[in-house]
Amino acid sequence: MRAWALLFLFLLGAWAQGGSASPPPDLPPEVFAIARELRCPVCQGESAAESNSGVAVEMRRLIAEMLQEGKTKDEIKAFFVERYGEWILYEPPKRGVTLWVWVLPVLGLALLGLGLFAYFRPKKPLPPELLEEAERRLKEPPA
Amino acid sequence: MQRNPKELPSVLAKERRPAPDFTLPVLPPYRAEWGETFRLSDHLGKRPVVLNFWASWCYPACYEEAPVLEATWRRYKDQVLFVGINTQDKEGEALRFIQQFGLTFPQVFDPRGRVGVDYGMYGVPETFVIDGEGRVMVRHAGAIDQASLEKYLKEVLP
Repeated sequence: MRAWALLFLFLLGAWAQGGSASPPPDLPPEVFAIARELRCPVCQGESAAESNSGVAVEMRRLIAEMLQEGKTKDEIKAFFVERYGEWILYEPPKRGVTLWVWVLPVLGLALLGLGLFAYFRPKKPLPPELLEEAERRLKEPPA
Repeated sequence: MQRNPKELPSVLAKERRPAPDFTLPVLPPYRAEWGETFRLSDHLGKRPVVLNFWASWCYPACYEEAPVLEATWRRYKDQVLFVGINTQDKEGEALRFIQQFGLTFPQVFDPRGRVGVDYGMYGVPETFVIDGEGRVMVRHAGAIDQASLEKYLKEVLP
């Protein structure tokens, strides 16, 4: 009986959370695609697409209006950078200190690839005369 | 999870940018004195302006600072203009708040919070101090206290 109640509560929770991720019907998905690249100013670690805080809702409305005016994605992002600074971008621009954020993972992967290649590289068999030499030395009585 | 807006710089205040202009409807109790709509640029460049973004649902911070703002406005009203921007709120609840604190400085209504975005607002309350030339000097995030407000006013008053 308790298990059923727990299952019911779990499903109820899943149902309650299901609606928040889907965009409200009054805004086209392009709005959410742009909002996902902008931070919600009030929240920790949420984009303007996920948050339902007043500022994020207004940001989505503004994005929708600017899209209707024919503005491009870059123009819309620049509008928010102008007001909030580059902090508002979810992806920092690739220059200066932030350049390393982009370059280091690529460098790390390249080094890992090189290491793996060196480790798994097919080994060339040793030349027979070297093997014979080694065997001969092993058989020699120690001096 | 709320972020601490004090950690985040204001682009406007950091670069001393001209205060973004706006035109908003004036809330009914202030229309006799200030007209139907309020345009900020009509008041810039004459004397400093204190812009305060608030909402009735912002408890306790907006409730803590309201008496401070009202008392300071009464003391400085002939040298500095105070403007309240009720943001992302319902008019009825905003009017109740105004009555509760007996606010006498003009209050404008921005239910969408559009002007807040122009000011790079993170949340309410936030207070912007604009100097006599119309440039943003300070952005104070969170409830403003008497000492901070006095300090900012001394910076912008001749």
